[in-house]
Amino acid sequence: MKPRHFIFLAAVLSASALAGCGKKEPPVSEAEVKAVFEKSLPSTVDDKVWERVPAHPAKLLLQDMVEPRLLQASTPFVRVQSVTDGRKVAFLLTWKDATLDDVPGPALFGDACAVQLPATTAADVPAPQMGEDGKTVEITYWSAIFQASVNGRKDDIHALYPRAAVDHYPFEAPSLKAGSPPQQEMAKRYAPARGAENPMAGPRTVPVQDLLADGPGTIRFAEKTVSSGSGKYSGGGWTVLLVRPLPNGAQPGGRTQVAFAVWEGSRQEVGARKMRTAWIPLSLGSAQ
Amino acid sequence: MANVHNWQIGREMNYPYEAAFPKRQFAFVFNINRCIACQSCTMACKSTWTFNKGQEHMWWANVETKPYGGYPQFWDMKTLELLEKANPGAQNWSGKPGADKKQPYGKFDGITVFEAQKMLTPDSARVLGYLPTDEEWNSPNIYEDNPVGKKGVRGELDKEGVELPEHKTWFFYLARICNHCSYPACLAACPRKAIYKRPEDGIVLIDQEQCRGYRKCVEACPYKKTMYRGNTRVSEKCIACYPRVEGKDPETGGQPMETRCMTACIGQIRMQGLVKMNRDGSWTEDRYNPLYYMIHVAKVALPLYPQFGTSPNGFYIPPRWVPRDYLRQMFGPGVDEAIERYTYPDRELLAVLQLFRRSNRIIFRYQIKEGPKVYEATLRGRKITLYNDTVIAYGQDGKEIFRTTIDEPLHVRPGKHANSI
Repeated sequence: MKPRHFIFLAAVLSASALAGCGKKEPPVSEAEVKAVFEKSLPSTVDDKVWERVPAHPAKLLLQDMVEPRLLQASTPFVRVQSVTDGRKVAFLLTWKDATLDDVPGPALFGDACAVQLPATTAADVPAPQMGEDGKTVEITYWSAIFQASVNGRKDDIHALYPRAAVDHYPFEAPSLKAGSPPQQEMAKRYAPARGAENPMAGPRTVPVQDLLADGPGTIRFAEKTVSSGSGKYSGGGWTVLLVRPLPNGAQPGGRTQVAFAVWEGSRQEVGARKMRTAWIPLSLGSAQ
Repeated sequence: MANVHNWQIGREMNYPYEAAFPKRQFAFVFNINRCIACQSCTMACKSTWTFNKGQEHMWWANVETKPYGGYPQFWDMKTLELLEKANPGAQNWSGKPGADKKQPYGKFDGITVFEAQKMLTPDSARVLGYLPTDEEWNSPNIYEDNPVGKKGVRGELDKEGVELPEHKTWFFYLARICNHCSYPACLAACPRKAIYKRPEDGIVLIDQEQCRGYRKCVEACPYKKTMYRGNTRVSEKCIACYPRVEGKDPETGGQPMETRCMTACIGQIRMQGLVKMNRDGSWTEDRYNPLYYMIHVAKVALPLYPQFGTSPNGFYIPPRWVPRDYLRQMFGPGVDEAIERYTYPDRELLAVLQLFRRSNRIIFRYQIKEGPKVYEATLRGRKITLYNDTVIAYGQDGKEIFRTTIDEPLHVRPGKHANSI
């Protein structure tokens, strides 16, 4: 066996180990991501169905094509499993990460991952790095920071510094009833990103965002986020479930392409500074 | 990279975008000689823009004590060190300050934050910078004004520090806001083009709808005036109180008004205005605009760290008592001439210095009416003569805003009101 193959196998085995002790290891699909047909999609990362859905060990590459680039490799690969019910497609991403990074701070970055599909399924696929002009890609982005917020962590300074002392916020004055429209309005007025309805700013009900891009540096928010997801950190790694509609033109039984990205927060990976895959064939199972 | 002219460093330089200049530029002059670090500006800004959750560490306007302090800590030393590392021993100026408008302070032969190519990989491809840690943002002014002991001697103050009348120690207060640069490093670094410079007044803003909180701007800004807000996951910065500059504040009836930090300045160190720009980035000749006069005619006010290359639009009258080498590093080679002019001001400069903080409205033009001689003396061996001239300030609409004299009226409190307030 050539040394390169040995490393790849070690990576696959190591990914399998991440699935958790005692769990049945899923079969491996090396050539493609196989979206297995199920009547109903799994709703959690712990669903039993993941034990029999083939896992594709996706090798992650440096994003070193466009600025700002990442030139030091971090997360080496992500294990991908997929299920479809004919209308939606679910992806389960599992990767090793020694540090849990889910707190937002001036110099703190969150762990994150994303799934990218061509907006339109056609033989002529967009460029794998964020698509290209006239060939849009759809991206579903999950963030550990979003997840912590959805899980109930408050967006205040005490999440970062539990012993911080705050004298007074004017929008929390006793004269303003907590949660009342005037109080909410005042709090929003001084959070301009929230006022501008920037989806980064919340309030957050899902830990994911739907995005569109037509090339590097063009990422934009989809009109509405329709995808859902959840992420769980345990055993030195993340397991993240992302569920999104099948893209335009993708049919059960058909094929398209899919790509993935992982950001390691402790290495200040954000935006273009990420580990990513090339296009990987995605076969969509059908009821037949 | 485009090739653009930066008059502050007297040469062409690299910048990621083609040069594009606004019709008018937001600019200001701070007279450091007058600053007492009362922090009125700091609190005026804080209580207007950054008192919400997630902004606890944000001070868009701040005053720090130099040479010890900084917000975030060591911001300027860190960038200077990075540049020195990128271009060891060669961050120097050549030529001399002169009349050439394209290089009024001479020529900077070193490299700017946009030109440190060897240092730009792997982390930052467009601008040399660094991302301050949370701790560096968290304690503005800590230890800055505290008396300290000698290094290694505990429980005892440094006795030399209190010797009078000769001050062997020195310090000064540096008030800072965003410089709304002509070549903004924050804008250059943003991979999403979510930062823009307004064509009408040159104010640099982060699009709060588009920002995704990558913090490349925070890393790139050498003055560290873009800041990340954790609870909205995006970055924010000084907005130059643009509603006031636009004349939207009801107080001025539609006329442009200075920012909150300017108008709150009780030390009267600050003046902010809008200056006309030529298409090549030079300032349009506007002889009786007080900012134009102080910066381009009297040359008494100088840019902050011009060698960074961003062409900042904040200018400072340097403090007279500070070692010149330190000041030349901070304000460039124009320091000696500026201090000379400020120490022995001529009639016009003395009159213009009276314009600071007599009104909240932006002054677009001044006029001096000569008055009688009121004082004559010798200062450090030089003869000085004071005239009680009247200086009149005009607004954008050409109408008089106020007039004031060199010799301020003296009011004596009557005896019966002594000790009353």
